[in-house]
Amino acid sequence: MLALIFASTYLHIIMKARRDVYQAIADPTRRAIIGMIADQPHNVNSIAEKFEVSRQAISLHVRILTDCGLVIVKQRGRDRFCEARLDRLSEVSAWVDRYRQHWESKIDALETYIDKLKKQRDGKQKK
Amino acid sequence: MENKKNSTRDRELTLSRKLNAPVELVWEAWTKPEHIANWWGPDGFTNTISTMDVKPGGEWNLVMHGPDGRDYDNKSVFREIVLHKKIVYEHVSYPKFIATIEFEEQGEATFITWHMLFASAEEFIQVVKTFKADEGLKQNIEKLSQYLTGMNVKN
Repeated sequence: MLALIFASTYLHIIMKARRDVYQAIADPTRRAIIGMIADQPHNVNSIAEKFEVSRQAISLHVRILTDCGLVIVKQRGRDRFCEARLDRLSEVSAWVDRYRQHWESKIDALETYIDKLKKQRDGKQKK
Repeated sequence: MENKKNSTRDRELTLSRKLNAPVELVWEAWTKPEHIANWWGPDGFTNTISTMDVKPGGEWNLVMHGPDGRDYDNKSVFREIVLHKKIVYEHVSYPKFIATIEFEEQGEATFITWHMLFASAEEFIQVVKTFKADEGLKQNIEKLSQYLTGMNVKN
């Protein structure tokens, strides 16, 4: 039994280590939850009501979002309220920008190549 | 939630550029394998194009050779070709996306719009994440080489 507890704790630690902001937003339900609580905190029950999945599934999504640092849960009386912490999302947009740069540089290369091609052809015409 | 199905905002990229050349030349540089091999792919890469059949349903197979000796297979199928106006191709190898390149004649210049739509937000995020990992790796190698240079100086 003790071994089982250790094993499950260990597994949880491993899973937690793997969680990052990309994992948080990789799922459509989690993205929708973020969208819902972005403006104002919602309690877990009212979030669950908006989706056609089980309350357990929503709890798991909330836990992943919490582990990823995008959501914090605050206990208010009997309710658990989810608040969005969106600072970490800028990490993603920064990498999307880098990826965009990768394509921009392709167009840079096209531009340079076309200039070269144009000069070659102009040169030939003058001769 | 409501617009989950309609919105493509979370899985697309749009780039545009005014190129200082007539549309015929830009089109040629884009559609002829002997030209595209000269500019496709990131810095330090070379390209081998085995097939480039620019017509709807035509295949486009390109291998990018990375500076580290790794080869990257790119398989695409052209979906729509409008001479001097539009190229639509579907990248069928990973990552899956549809690219639409539009050419707009502006006198002696050409305005191109390059739009990429990924199959799903999940795939787009995965691509960005992989790209992040690759970039991280590159930076690590740079750091290592700087470090090694530093060591040589000390010795």
